[in-house]
Amino acid sequence: MADLALPKTLLVPAGLAEGLTESGGTINDIVQDALNSPIHRERWKYTKADGFLTQLVALSKAPTIYGEQQTGVRWLRETISNPIPGLDLQQGPEAFARLCFSGEAMRLEITGSVTDPVTLIHRSNTLPVIVNLSASASLTLIEMIEGDEGQQTVWIDIGPNAKLNHSRNALNAASSSWQYASVRLQSSARYHLNNHVLGCGVRRQDLHVIMDGQGADAKLVSAGMVDNKAALDQQITLEHRQPRGHSEQTIHNIVANGGKCSFNGRIHIHDGASGTEAQLSNKNLGLGDNATINTKPELEIYNDDVSCSHGATVGTLSQEALFYLTSRGIDKAEAEALLSQGFLQQCIDGPLAETALKAMIGIRELGASL
Amino acid sequence: MKLLDVSNLHASVETDDGPQPILKGLNLTVKAGEVHAIMGPNGSGKSTLANILSGRPGYTVDGGEVMLGNNNLLNLEPFERAQMGIFLAFQYPVEIPGVSNMEFLKASIDSLARARGEEQPNTANFMRTVRELAGSLDLDPAFLKRGVNEGFSGGEKKRNEIMQLLLLNPKLALLDETDSGLDIDALKVVADGVNRYRNQSNGVVLITHYQRLLDYIVPDYVHVLSNGLIIESGDKSLALELEAKGYAWLT
Ligand SMILES: Nc1ncnc2c1ncn2[C@@H]1O[C@H](COP(=O)(O)OP(=O)(O)OP(=O)(O)O)[C@@H](O)[C@H]1O
Ligand SMILES: [Mg+2]
Repeated sequence: MADLALPKTLLVPAGLAEGLTESGGTINDIVQDALNSPIHRERWKYTKADGFLTQLVALSKAPTIYGEQQTGVRWLRETISNPIPGLDLQQGPEAFARLCFSGEAMRLEITGSVTDPVTLIHRSNTLPVIVNLSASASLTLIEMIEGDEGQQTVWIDIGPNAKLNHSRNALNAASSSWQYASVRLQSSARYHLNNHVLGCGVRRQDLHVIMDGQGADAKLVSAGMVDNKAALDQQITLEHRQPRGHSEQTIHNIVANGGKCSFNGRIHIHDGASGTEAQLSNKNLGLGDNATINTKPELEIYNDDVSCSHGATVGTLSQEALFYLTSRGIDKAEAEALLSQGFLQQCIDGPLAETALKAMIGIRELGASL
Repeated sequence: MKLLDVSNLHASVETDDGPQPILKGLNLTVKAGEVHAIMGPNGSGKSTLANILSGRPGYTVDGGEVMLGNNNLLNLEPFERAQMGIFLAFQYPVEIPGVSNMEFLKASIDSLARARGEEQPNTANFMRTVRELAGSLDLDPAFLKRGVNEGFSGGEKKRNEIMQLLLLNPKLALLDETDSGLDIDALKVVADGVNRYRNQSNGVVLITHYQRLLDYIVPDYVHVLSNGLIIESGDKSLALELEAKGYAWLT
């Protein structure tokens, strides 16, 4: 395979580079090497990286925001000049490159319990967003991905005892779309993600969660529908670095009619992260003809005192369940629709649930009234 | 009036050793207003009969005929049979996470109404009816929001089957061991549900191992199914005799 290359030479904003160049070489070389490391190449096994790399330098604008005029919320545009908590060049060299090329970012600072949600609407390429919750702050953050071609990178740092409910809909019919999110949790911080996604021309979603304080709690729930030759590639890395963290991931994807879906869920439990509880369940439902599903669970555990479960399944609709529904007079097509809806519905929740239901499965009349 | 007419039914299942015959020329006629109890040893073909009548995949009919009124059932899909009035209360009801009971019941009642050219019930009335029915079967209406049979106890699943029976009001009810796994109070609740369903124009085929149920749902006929054939038929007293003597004296 030819080496992956950055679209142009990368210059690092002062401050951001702190500690990165110690290993020698220019920062451009380090990023280039990270892109081409065997581990990282593996993450791009099922999706062509080139197109995403070319777009790293595309012009970006600030996402549209709602709810920023509340007490405890600050929203500002800034020149990137400080280290970003949780930034891991090896994990996300593209996202790092995007920060550098952009030179600017939007910062969302949350300093209290914010009652109304803050909503970000991303149309095509948007500036990197840096979200910071101070100790004991709380927020509901909503993100909607729109536009044709686009990349969005978000860097989230959740302070001690702070709480973030994060809902994201990526339901746009884009030719190419990439969402990268890095989330760092400090001690007893809580993070809850509801992600709803449709496949598109090529869709890539990267999520890197770092449990970086004792007793942090993360819950990731995602529903995906990949139909009509669309593609979706989800890469999640969840690191437990500190003791007594709790993480739970449930990802359901339907892949139908020539759709192509890849899921890679890595759980990495570091030495010292004793008392960790980590769960991951990825279920895939293949429907129609020629659905391609790749799912790969990866576990790295450097600690004995953990409870960890990690499972991936690929299946079709249950014949038993189909017979049960049809034996009540429901015709086959409707029974199949009910079952696939039910499969996704288990992972559709939060403030964006209704929009997601409509887009993903066509809401039933009764569903809304219950 | 003949409701169900099964004549000379031969059926088999596919096994690793090739097709294995289960039903071997079975005859059964149920008239409107009647309750027929079917008893018989484990593995004799009772569930197979109920499954074939409702169209469960996995069986091959090798001969014979099944008529519901004037309709030949055997070439119909399960949903078509249900729309014609067949209802199977499952021996093992299926759990379907993510599809709520309420949603499922509405889809079902709407499908049946459409098939019969009737108007679909309005949602508010429908939901009230279902809640009342659930209450009458000692099912907590909160169950209705949960996934179909999801996390229900064995007894709750059986009561849910009877709730569906009362809601969908079919022509012919096939109850496959709806009494097994029920405590004594639940048994009465279920029996009471079946008795409420019964009328002069519908019929019940009741598969059971226990004569006790027949104290509550009094059958017009009791049949013994053994090795794919009905080998004995009688009235309620046959069940008492079986209870006392077992099946050995018949075979
Ligand atoms: N799918 C199948 N594959 C293989 N054998 C089957 C299958 N279904 C039924 N059988 C066999 O057919 C026979 C009849 O089974 P059936 O379930 O109808 O019995 P039953 O009378 O309902 O028994 P029980 O009282 O235990 O419920 C049994 O020997 C059973 O093992
Ligand atoms: Mg049986």
